[in-house]
Amino acid sequence: MTLRRGAARIVWPALLVTLVVALADVGLLDAGRLGRGVRNLGEFARALFPPDASTLPTLAEAMVETIEIAFVGTAIGFALALPLSLLASPVLFGPSVTAPVKLLLAVVRTVPALFWAIIFVVVVGLGPAAGALGIAFYSLGYLGKLLYETFDGVDPEVLEATRSVGASRWQLARFAVLPESANGILAQLLFMFEYNVRASSILGLVGAGGIGFYLLGYLELLRYDLLLTGLLLTLAVVILIDRASAFVRRAFLFPVAPVPPAE
Amino acid sequence: MSDPALQVRDAWFAYVRSKPVLRGVTMHATPGEVTMVLGTSGSGKTTLLKILKGLLAAQSGEVRVLGADVNGSARGRLDPRVAYIPQQLGLVRSLSALDNALVGALSRIGTVPSLLRMLPEDETKRARELLARLGIGHKADAPVHELSGGERQRVAIARALMQGPRVLLADEFISDLDPLTSAEIMALVRDAAVAGVAVVMTTHEMDVVREHADHVVVLRHGETSLDRHGVPDVRAITEALR
Repeated sequence: MTLRRGAARIVWPALLVTLVVALADVGLLDAGRLGRGVRNLGEFARALFPPDASTLPTLAEAMVETIEIAFVGTAIGFALALPLSLLASPVLFGPSVTAPVKLLLAVVRTVPALFWAIIFVVVVGLGPAAGALGIAFYSLGYLGKLLYETFDGVDPEVLEATRSVGASRWQLARFAVLPESANGILAQLLFMFEYNVRASSILGLVGAGGIGFYLLGYLELLRYDLLLTGLLLTLAVVILIDRASAFVRRAFLFPVAPVPPAE
Repeated sequence: MSDPALQVRDAWFAYVRSKPVLRGVTMHATPGEVTMVLGTSGSGKTTLLKILKGLLAAQSGEVRVLGADVNGSARGRLDPRVAYIPQQLGLVRSLSALDNALVGALSRIGTVPSLLRMLPEDETKRARELLARLGIGHKADAPVHELSGGERQRVAIARALMQGPRVLLADEFISDLDPLTSAEIMALVRDAAVAGVAVVMTTHEMDVVREHADHVVVLRHGETSLDRHGVPDVRAITEALR
């Protein structure tokens, strides 16, 4: 207890000093700059309103492309992530298989979506194809990890009972691990799609298609009223997808709690 | 009496080295008999069943099931002739009763056809017939999470019987049932025994032991404290449990 109190006496002041030094270094203790920032924010907010809807048809078209990029990217990412996540799952394979696959997924995960998009702009040229492939590889890294962690949570009794019939590893995956993880897989997939719609909306910054191209253009031209229209459209679509996801969850998820005997 | 379907001699097992769960258990089970393994919680019943199935390996001693040494089989494919029903049944909740029953046939179906769900017609027909014989034919296509406790018990038995078992290991699988359903399930277990299956089940229920056991093995602190064939002697069992 004495040691803990002693440590607390050192740690908290040290954290405070670090915070103050870091705030100063990033320029957030500069009163003049902060004052200018607040004024700029006011001007920016005034320039946003009222939103200009004249480019709405163009933005809507770009938004459709953004959703398509997210959809295709999530689908390809899922198709690649599913077998790899099974290979990374310790409930199916030993460490000699799981360790290298987990490392591969970690490496893929380290590269942000925007960087993947840049790589694929180089590979397949400017446009939504590069965006979709960028999103696919970004999804592969994340979905791979989320899925193998879901598989780790499968009830050990289900695994034991299925192994007991003399099933092979892949039969175990097909008839126990995947159906038992169906709720988790669906939830992760919907989450990834929602996330990818947001991620896809900035891919235009690197010429990989979608609404981001227009948002960047409006920002550079200081047409904040048009920018607000684009942002509101993105918000509306994200809310719509969120509601659609909730509907899909309600329709497809099976109850997790055991059903009490009917007798 | 016929040759034992399984035989355990001086089996030792510990999850933590200093605390052995099984301390030299010796037992056997014979085809056509219902062997009931009793013991207080923590006496090693579940561990013993998992060793018999090959899910765990005894650290010393001999474990032979259907003539084969099952110790060390935990990593490979397990023998489908030895069916195992865990305490919570181990059914896949999102699959139908039929698919859960068909899981019992997986060892006879190649990996690729089963992955594509191209299951042989005769296996599907057999699974449907089995579910009908067990009284849940009308629920064959219902997902397991929609079934009652007794219905799920029947699905677990169907999965086990689809294996064409010569040994049936069941871990306290009737403990959550009401007496009527429990009696119905035990009648199905008896049918399996009459067909020549060696049934080994753990239980806490003295009534079930009294009515259905042909052979009683009692474990106390990981040791065999009673091993007796014939009409169960409740007083001797109670004494052995203490």
